[in-house]
Amino acid sequence: MGFLITTLIFVVVGIIASLCARICFNRGPSANLLHLTLIITATVCCWMMWAIVYLAQMNPLIVPILNDAE
Amino acid sequence: MECIDNLPPMDLMRSEKMVLVQLIIPVESAHRAVSYLGELGLLQFRDLNDDKSPFQRTFVNQVKRCAEMARKLRFIKDHIHKAGLIPSPDPASEPDIELEELEIQLAEHEHGLIEMNANSEHLQQAYNELLEFKMVLHKAGDFLSSNGSPVAAQETELDENVHISDDYADTSSLLEQELQPGPSNQSGVRFISGVICKSKILRFERMLFRTTRGNMLFNQASADDQILDPASNEMVEKTVFVVFFSSEQVRIKILKICEAFGANCYPVPEEATKRRQISREVLSHLSELETTLEAGLQHRDKALTSIGLYLAKWMKMVRREKAVYDTLNMLNFDVTKKCLVGEGWCPIFAKTKVQEALQRATTDSNSQVGVIFHVMDSIEPPPTYFQTDDFTNAYQEIVDAYGVAKYQEANPAVYTIVTFPFLFAVMFGDWGHGICLLLGALYLIAHEKKFGSQKLGSFMEMLYGGRYVLLLMSLFSIYCGLIYNEFFSVPFHIFGSSAYQCRDATCSDSRSVGLIKYRDAYPFGVDPSWRGSRSELPFLNSLKMKMSILFGIVQMNLGIILSYLNARYFGNSLDIKYQFVPQIIFLNSLFGYLSLLIITKWCTGSQADLYHVMIYMFLSPFEDLGENQLFWGQGVLQVVLLILAIIAVPWMLFPKPFILKKLHTERFQGRTYGILGTSDSYDDEVPDSVRQPQPDEFNFSEVFVHQMIHAIEFVLGSVSNTASYLRLWALSLAHSELSTVFYEKVLVLAWGYDNLIIRLVGLAVFAFATAFILLMMETLSAFLHALRLHWVEFQNKFYSGDGYKFVPFSFAALNEEED
Repeated sequence: MGFLITTLIFVVVGIIASLCARICFNRGPSANLLHLTLIITATVCCWMMWAIVYLAQMNPLIVPILNDAE
Repeated sequence: MECIDNLPPMDLMRSEKMVLVQLIIPVESAHRAVSYLGELGLLQFRDLNDDKSPFQRTFVNQVKRCAEMARKLRFIKDHIHKAGLIPSPDPASEPDIELEELEIQLAEHEHGLIEMNANSEHLQQAYNELLEFKMVLHKAGDFLSSNGSPVAAQETELDENVHISDDYADTSSLLEQELQPGPSNQSGVRFISGVICKSKILRFERMLFRTTRGNMLFNQASADDQILDPASNEMVEKTVFVVFFSSEQVRIKILKICEAFGANCYPVPEEATKRRQISREVLSHLSELETTLEAGLQHRDKALTSIGLYLAKWMKMVRREKAVYDTLNMLNFDVTKKCLVGEGWCPIFAKTKVQEALQRATTDSNSQVGVIFHVMDSIEPPPTYFQTDDFTNAYQEIVDAYGVAKYQEANPAVYTIVTFPFLFAVMFGDWGHGICLLLGALYLIAHEKKFGSQKLGSFMEMLYGGRYVLLLMSLFSIYCGLIYNEFFSVPFHIFGSSAYQCRDATCSDSRSVGLIKYRDAYPFGVDPSWRGSRSELPFLNSLKMKMSILFGIVQMNLGIILSYLNARYFGNSLDIKYQFVPQIIFLNSLFGYLSLLIITKWCTGSQADLYHVMIYMFLSPFEDLGENQLFWGQGVLQVVLLILAIIAVPWMLFPKPFILKKLHTERFQGRTYGILGTSDSYDDEVPDSVRQPQPDEFNFSEVFVHQMIHAIEFVLGSVSNTASYLRLWALSLAHSELSTVFYEKVLVLAWGYDNLIIRLVGLAVFAFATAFILLMMETLSAFLHALRLHWVEFQNKFYSGDGYKFVPFSFAALNEEED
């Protein structure tokens, strides 16, 4: 559940970033396509990073065992 | 797939379309036309006179003249530097002058400068000599006056074998004692006085002793002032000496020895009054010379400053002219000798601009005939030209450093802009360090104008050129640092409390069995409870290794898809069917399946051993999986994937060479005769034009071996490249451990003491260690490894990189090059 919601948040952030880029840096269709590609790539990379770390912690096989010190 | 075709072409994806143009320029407008094209900077001339030596070319004289002018300008610049003046540019105040006029002026200036230098050298030499004479008069006078009574110098006789080399005070007293009551003169005592370098005095003395067999008296005293040595241009210490001897023959020998040792001899009169008179004359002479020298230097400095104003402008002009003549040398004269013919590459979008520039040149030079500009076909591949701005330029250079893209193939820089800083950040993930990098990047960007205008050292230049790369690297590092939950290796609870807690209220078994997960997973990033626990490393290592594999598979798939886009663009259906498809099948049926297993294991929390699953998929595919089963139908799926992988290997190996052979025989069937050249008039004049197609020999064994190498490289590479991505794990572990060590063993340790000095020292050591080891060394290290991952693992799936860069004839590039 938390996974899907956060994934949606990533998608929304990606869309907002693309719109911002289109508004602020509108330089013709070919340049716009480049900007869109960059933003999609960045969003996918960031989402993958988060998703991997989240999935790894969903059903962990080991738990934190505190140190003897302190 | 049609929707891809309907999209407009993406900006940086493929290099600009180029076209080979032929220019026919009438001679009177040639120079102007090339100058205007140089200002435009969008045409790359082909050298049509490649086979000629530089001396056989048409405009060799003009090039020589320009080179000579450049030499004169450098000469003047050197002298300005030597004189210690700083040339201050005074631009745009004077009108432009013609090249011939500049030549004449430069010759005048150089001549004048050489003359001035020679004069001042002469003056300086005379000054030195007078100075030495003054010293000799002074010191030798002391020797001579102490020898005898204040009346006229006595003639004394020297004993044989008397050689005294000590302090002259002893000498004179001994002489007085021994020789005072002696007989009156039999033979005269002669002397030679002079000056010699202090370093040579001992050898000089010894040589004199040997030559005169001891029949001489040698006095020396060091001079008070230093003399400027004109040869080495530094001050040397000199010693005044006086040699007393008895016979004339010895005089000649002594003079020769003085000459050999570079000692300057000056005649000193014996009478004191004469000496005083000469001293006065010398002094007045000296002061005259001083003023003359001063005046000379001032005059020279004034002349140099006045030239220095225009120096930069003139140098630029001469450089431009030389470049224009070098380019004109690349053109050919046509049959009528009234036109120059040139060929060049030019981007299609720049065609109109080039034509406009040529038109302007025609009108400006009042020529009757216009320039003819027409497009030609070519066999040779065009140069690669990417239009980059400040931001994309750094990434394009990173890609070009490995190899310039072939004409119109997919440019990896498009994805490198994001994936390179991202992979860097995966290896560098710490948002504290990321903030430091961000501050550095923002500083460089804020002072863009200042850094752009001044000349930087090579290290600063690299940093400045990569400021946008650094910016993205720092932003992604902050993101990855938040995910790894490391701020200088300290975790924070930014996104809520931890998902782990003690099993019971006493926390008694938290150190033996551990905590327990009571909530959903930590919403963003690594749970802060992991840091400092004993099971931190097993958990994080497993997480980061699997993460590296997943990123690797995704990037490699992206590379193979780019190869598909390339094949589609060039209409190479052979590559699609017999290279792209088997490659995708092979990579994904093995390593894509591994990725699927990883994700499934995470989602289900199963305890299956993935190593075991993967290895036994090959060793005993039909065996029952038992407790390693992750999902229903896994056994069947594994067998299917294995079979697909095994089929894919011969699929990418065999069909392509055979089909290529068939296509070749079909195309060139019946073409057993060579192709005759067409009989255009320009063809005779342009023998090395690129327009003649040649039928290639089809070497089947070569093609087959090439395909085999390609296939084996891919198959073996899929394992090694996947493993290579584990460096993402290795470097991020190293960074995290270093960071932990510096934090715990330096800062926390130092902070534990109450003493302020120890705390400050600990803070300083922590700061230095962080700045130099973590921020500089780790940055470079992660940069290098991310670069390697892009250049090798990503690009060898699709990039050929054997093109050549578009280098247009441009004055702007010339100025950059010289600076």
